[in-house]
Amino acid sequence: MSDKVTRKDVLVYGGVTAGAVVAAGAGVAGIATAVERRKEAPVVTGAPIVARRHAGEIPLRDPGAAPWRDAERVLVPLVAQQLVPPYLDRTGVVELRARAAYNANQVALLVEWEDDEVDDLDGIRRYHDAVAVQLPARLGASPPAITMGAPGNPVHILQWRATWQRDLDSDGKTGVDQIYPEVVHDVMPDDVLPRQTAELYWVGRKAGNPLSQNFRTTPIEEVVAEGFGSVTHLRGQTASGHGVHEDGRWRVALSFPADRAGVGDPIAPGTSWPIAFAVWLGSQENRGGRKHYADWQTLIVEEE
Amino acid sequence: MAKVRNWQLGREMDYPYDADRPRRQFTMIMDTNKCIACQSCTIACKSTWTWGKGQEFMLWNNIETKPYGFYPMGWDVNILGLLGEQEWTDDVYTGQTVFEAAPPGERVLGWTPAEEDWSHPNIGEDEPTGNAEETTHIPGGRHSMMWMYYLQRICNHCTYPACVAACPRQAIYKRPEDGIVLVDQERCRGYQECLTACPYKKTMFNLETRVSEKCIGCYPKLEEGLQTQCTTACIGRLRLTNYLSAPEDADPSKPADFLVHVRKLALPLYPQLGLEPNVYYIPPVHVPTRYLTQMFGPGVDRAIDMYLGAKDDPELLGLLMLFGATERIMDTWDVRDGIARAYDEQGEEIVGVPLREPTFVREFEFATEVAGEPATGYRHNT
Repeated sequence: MSDKVTRKDVLVYGGVTAGAVVAAGAGVAGIATAVERRKEAPVVTGAPIVARRHAGEIPLRDPGAAPWRDAERVLVPLVAQQLVPPYLDRTGVVELRARAAYNANQVALLVEWEDDEVDDLDGIRRYHDAVAVQLPARLGASPPAITMGAPGNPVHILQWRATWQRDLDSDGKTGVDQIYPEVVHDVMPDDVLPRQTAELYWVGRKAGNPLSQNFRTTPIEEVVAEGFGSVTHLRGQTASGHGVHEDGRWRVALSFPADRAGVGDPIAPGTSWPIAFAVWLGSQENRGGRKHYADWQTLIVEEE
Repeated sequence: MAKVRNWQLGREMDYPYDADRPRRQFTMIMDTNKCIACQSCTIACKSTWTWGKGQEFMLWNNIETKPYGFYPMGWDVNILGLLGEQEWTDDVYTGQTVFEAAPPGERVLGWTPAEEDWSHPNIGEDEPTGNAEETTHIPGGRHSMMWMYYLQRICNHCTYPACVAACPRQAIYKRPEDGIVLVDQERCRGYQECLTACPYKKTMFNLETRVSEKCIGCYPKLEEGLQTQCTTACIGRLRLTNYLSAPEDADPSKPADFLVHVRKLALPLYPQLGLEPNVYYIPPVHVPTRYLTQMFGPGVDRAIDMYLGAKDDPELLGLLMLFGATERIMDTWDVRDGIARAYDEQGEEIVGVPLREPTFVREFEFATEVAGEPATGYRHNT
């Protein structure tokens, strides 16, 4: 694979490597133009997602600002995961829209999808909204299996979660008192025990499970995987981002260092990458493998 | 899919992982006939392990009344309904297990309780079947027309756990040394697949830490040679924490092997589901066996007859007397000279319990004096 990649080359690449069903649906031949109410850039189906060089910081909270304003929104079709149990048996969202950009240090994506309900608390049979972006760890000719990589062929995944966003926005108030606002507690361990002993009653938290912490600096988790069921939280978390729910859809920005030190090959200008996505609708009990996913699309990082 | 041997079903069955029995299996024997639903066991467990924030609704141990009690709601009737009518042919289960009946896209046939299903742990408590106006007489036969009984439930630390099968990331494991099933608190990612899969509904989601938890068999106590909190707290002395061997290695000098494999007095709970659960019940003698067979499998009638004959069976009676006699786990026991003794792994005696308590009957009449004059006194033996 040469360093200099033209758009034409990449379209062919995308056509060859995408999964059969999804490629047929995406149809390189068809470019759908949908003019939105708010006169945003038209959505393009089946095209690669192009990241252009941006001078300066890439805003994570302002989709109307540069570089997002001028970036092409690519329509990415989603399907229910039915490759490996547990399956998603009901499709709740059929597409997401993706934009990309990069600057001196970071690569960023802005993804949007439709979801009427905000699900940002986990509880008994309560699940959260989330989106994930997946890239191969290595720059290579063929992408790893869509099933989150394979042994020896790892993938790098960034997952934004509505619960983590709420953790961040509410300073950690995302537990029993928020799920059940009328709850009354009798005696809690930290009322009567020394702090270090009381903490033992939050076993997951004490064990260092990243899901169990509620004070965060980012709503995005960075993991690597080599196949379904092997997700491993990275010790050095470098991703940042922000998600907002507005007008019946989520809009999430995800940003990470382009050098991908310790994770994989750098996402460098002039390279092209398979890129995949997954979306979870908490209101439809999506979680884990019960997700909507997109087959490999193409991310082009334009020359500077 | 692997083929594994399930001795409770008398056959092989499908399971996602190869069979790998632990060196010895943590087990609990429950004598349902002694339970008064005082819930001391529940309080012991809750005040030890689950009084933290996020664990409010959790009862790793619970006592429910049968037939109308459930925690969570309908846990057993729902999975039985999903599975449909199935059959035993003599001692072999010829129906489907929850693994064999798993729908496409699932590893286990299961259902997910709603939030509110956990909110009524005392539903149906003390509610008997039958109509009071029609059935208040005690008939000549063994079974009353009105009945209810208490069922004691903890995690069964199954040999073929559904939770282990369902977890997409293998975040639940079974310890090779004692067969205790645990959720790896660092590895769990809160998918709650185990909640859907476990037919006994003994994995529970922590609302603060966002990962799932379950009965841990009080393993820190077991590792010290002590019985669990629920066993020790039981006022009725109906529980026994012990270790069970595989059926081909059964040793009659070991309490659990004796009750489960040799005498077959203690029976598994809903064995037809196919998990080979490792909590065993001495069935309630006053409940119709048709109901009990669905719950404990074939062998209920024989077990009840044996239990009713215990007073003439010193070996069995002695072992039953040792329930609740010590906090320590007993390795072996014997009955000699009217005393049942429990021994530890070194063969040292832990405790001895007489099969009959010594009694002394006082004479009703006795000679005494009142105001210097002889008189006869009378005693009542109360």
